[in-house]
Amino acid sequence: MKVNTCMPLAAAALCILAGCNLAGLSGALPSGLNSEHVTLAAKSARAVSVASRPISDSEEYYVGRAVAARILATYPLLRNSRLTEYVNLVGRTVALNSEKPNTYGGYHFAVLDSSEINAFACPGGTILITKGMVRAVRTEDELAAVLAHEVAHINHRDGIDAISKSRWTEALTIIGTETAKTYGSSDVARLTGIFEGSIDDVFKTLVVNGYGRGQEEDADRTSLGYLARAGYDPKALESFLSRLSVTGRGSSGGMMKTHPATSDRLENVRSSMPGSAADPVMEKARSARFAESTSF
Amino acid sequence: MRTISILLILPVFLVCAGLLHAAETVRVITKENAVRQQCKFYSPVRAKVRYNDPLTVLSRSGDWYKVSFRGVSGCIHKSALASGTYRLSGTLGGRGGGASADEVSLAGKGFNPQVEAAYKGRNPGLGYRSVDEIERYQAPDETFQAFLGKGGLTTP
Ligand SMILES: [Zn+2]
Repeated sequence: MKVNTCMPLAAAALCILAGCNLAGLSGALPSGLNSEHVTLAAKSARAVSVASRPISDSEEYYVGRAVAARILATYPLLRNSRLTEYVNLVGRTVALNSEKPNTYGGYHFAVLDSSEINAFACPGGTILITKGMVRAVRTEDELAAVLAHEVAHINHRDGIDAISKSRWTEALTIIGTETAKTYGSSDVARLTGIFEGSIDDVFKTLVVNGYGRGQEEDADRTSLGYLARAGYDPKALESFLSRLSVTGRGSSGGMMKTHPATSDRLENVRSSMPGSAADPVMEKARSARFAESTSF
Repeated sequence: MRTISILLILPVFLVCAGLLHAAETVRVITKENAVRQQCKFYSPVRAKVRYNDPLTVLSRSGDWYKVSFRGVSGCIHKSALASGTYRLSGTLGGRGGGASADEVSLAGKGFNPQVEAAYKGRNPGLGYRSVDEIERYQAPDETFQAFLGKGGLTTP
């Protein structure tokens, strides 16, 4: 390669590595480098990264909507405005104390009209918990603990990670690297097929098989931090799991099916428990409003 | 050849490093968001912002940016923003807040509303109506602030 062609490329590559804004560079280039060279180099450098890119935040949002739509085709939505507001307030409190307080479409919480004890974290930020789960928790802090665990799954992208790598690689060959936002009908048909398969992957993981054991342990550990930061008692997760290990014995559906043995979760939670203590007066106030909001 | 290369690249690198610190505009990377009076999630909203809106950075304070948007100034959390800088990889879709400008260029690509519409068409029995209902719901900020106060809770 000649010096005059390789230099702009090298400079631009270095520039990208330094994290600089290439668009603003044109007026400041040394002789031999023009903005076109830099733009081209930047484009090819970005093409390399885009070609193997992970699913973007907005794509994650559309996957999450579809997964939620599939869950809601099986479990109907419970329409109780007081309960919906309450679950959203508790959920928003823990989500805002997570590593990612903002997602593309935001966090949303809703209750499913099912007596099964379960909760689902749809990618992007929609969290669905069953009426059975609302009945299984005894305090606001325990409800917060269940929601915090689900927020952690979203933050860790555990749902999105269920999409098979080969499926996503195939999607990228259609999506390409250019900025086209409207696809032709055959591309849309192919992309939709891949999207459908991706939703299957996530749905099966959320509803049928469960996440990996390591992902569950991580979600439990991370959720303790969200609770402590928000002012909830992280021990509420322990108390909920302790009770579940007794009452859930013999039950194999819902969360018991998709999550590791409660005794293993308890051990992990106990060994990661932060030292912070919650104010007992405030805890009492929270318990009172919990009783009021969940009497349905 | 190597020496010449370094001599030529170095000034570009330095200019780049300078520009990195002089970045003034950030873009909103969430569908909707708000510029708030104070750097708190429950602080009153001064301006509503939408995806890709450009915000002028006035200053930074921890995880918050003080910005101005259409003559209104206030705070917005960094996890709602992409800085105007390019980063190769590692941030996109990774854990934690903050995103690269790539996030902006990727919106609308791949799994997008067009694909969702086609998927809906193929699967008419899905609960998209309930999903829209869930997404529309938002407890008012005043209710949220009272909820935090009465429960002895806090958010950033
Ligand atoms: Zn889990």
